[in-house]
Amino acid sequence: MLKDITIGQYLPGHSFLHSLDPRTKIIAVLIYMISLFVVNNFFGLGFMLLLSFVVVLTSQIPVKFFFRGIKAIIFIVSLTVILQMFMTPGEIMWQFGIFKITKEGIHQAIFMGTRLILLVSVTSILTLTTTPISLTDGIEHLLKPFQRFGVPAHELAMMMTIALRFIPTLIEETEKIMKAQAARGADFESGNLVQRAKAMIPLLVPLFLNAVKRADELAMAMEARCYHGGENRTRLKALQYTKRDYVAAVLCIGMVAGAFTSRFI
Amino acid sequence: MSLEVKHVTYIYQKGSPAENHALQDICLKIDEGEFLGIVGHTGSGKSTLIQHLNGLLKPSEGEILVDGVDINQKESRAKLKELRMQVGLVFQYPEYQLFEETVENDIAFGPRSLGLSEQEIKERVQHTMELLNLDYENFRNKSPFELSGGEKRKVAIAGVLAMQPKYLILDEPTAGLDPRGRQEFLELIAMLHRQGMTIVMVSHSMDDIARYAQKMIVMEHGQIKLSGTPQEVFSHPVELEQIGVGVPTLTKLLLRLKERGFHVRTDLFNVNEVKKEILTALSERKGDTTC
Repeated sequence: MLKDITIGQYLPGHSFLHSLDPRTKIIAVLIYMISLFVVNNFFGLGFMLLLSFVVVLTSQIPVKFFFRGIKAIIFIVSLTVILQMFMTPGEIMWQFGIFKITKEGIHQAIFMGTRLILLVSVTSILTLTTTPISLTDGIEHLLKPFQRFGVPAHELAMMMTIALRFIPTLIEETEKIMKAQAARGADFESGNLVQRAKAMIPLLVPLFLNAVKRADELAMAMEARCYHGGENRTRLKALQYTKRDYVAAVLCIGMVAGAFTSRFI
Repeated sequence: MSLEVKHVTYIYQKGSPAENHALQDICLKIDEGEFLGIVGHTGSGKSTLIQHLNGLLKPSEGEILVDGVDINQKESRAKLKELRMQVGLVFQYPEYQLFEETVENDIAFGPRSLGLSEQEIKERVQHTMELLNLDYENFRNKSPFELSGGEKRKVAIAGVLAMQPKYLILDEPTAGLDPRGRQEFLELIAMLHRQGMTIVMVSHSMDDIARYAQKMIVMEHGQIKLSGTPQEVFSHPVELEQIGVGVPTLTKLLLRLKERGFHVRTDLFNVNEVKKEILTALSERKGDTTC
């Protein structure tokens, strides 16, 4: 049951998107997000929608993964749509008591709903086609210029890598402790809210203790291997832009141009 | 009265690409008062099997009978707690399950969740601690986290024993202990067995199994490859070597001697008996100049 958690899930593959440099992909996603808010009419929105379809198809990832991502935000999307529909002032199309739907409201609702769904789908393409390790690598590189303003780029990336690495370990351990306590008569499933919260204590105490202990050991192991932060550190797999990344860059420029042009149609 | 495993198959992540038959058509009967050893390679299905015995895992096919009752039937599932009181399961590295502020409370967790009276809980905790050579007055108010590794393990096992199970299942109880701690623990388990408790012990040490178990099974790829008394099982050294578990050190020694032409029995597991056997074999050879 706990194994269903899919934070930063990655699906191995060999598509064009999989082979792009993570930096390219991160920047492309940012540009896509900006373009999404640049467009202000249905031509523009249609253009962005079309683009996202093309990207989803090139990623060769089963569509059900995107639906799963959308399912997770369905509540936020519907709330946004409803609020936009009823709260936007303008030309009234339908009215019932204090509730009224305006033409502008419908327009806004469609825009915001589509934008949210596209945002989630495109960011999930990023995590689905990029391994967590290269993703953090990319973030580290992109944050490097900000280091002189005090942004600890390497440390942030290392923290993210470690956190991602230990998610499965913690899940496994949770299951193990749950079983061990169940064997001693613990009951995690029945009772009211207070009883259930209390039943979590035998699970959480060992879990946190072990996590802290493990962090200590990890720090020691890293130090034993002479880890001392990002300075002068070289990597086994240095990030390198290839032809594909330049192709992607050109496509991104095309996307921004398209988004701006659509405003004048 | 017995623990019975009838044609149990267990499939991990059924229907997914990672589908995996962790157990395949396992049949096993453990009589009351028996000491059963389970050996096998890592990933052979030992831990999966023992988690079926107290209902933590539900078989994909087949049944588990505890004293003749199918524990996975609807009515029995409702009484899982009672079942787990009868079938105590001690996991590998059980000290990781400690969580209470004091040793006494931690050991009392099981009995308390069974709804016993405070008086009875206290008696049980005290009794169990004495059984494990943990001085009640000295240890009761200590935090389990300030104890040594061996003491922690004792407290964790006490937490299961305090429920006074009829059947005690241990998954590698001596892993990670120093030689003295190992010996102490094995003696303790042997003592519980002598007092009438049914013991199922998973172990990687053939020496321990040969010495303490009355019956044993050897598992590989979710199946039982060999079963019987240690004498019977360890008389198949070639198969055991193939499965990758090997034979006890003493058996290895006797087998080597036999290979070199000494007339020795190879089904002895007690140091003194083996010593006698070797001395006899040597004296037979006295005067013989070949060695």
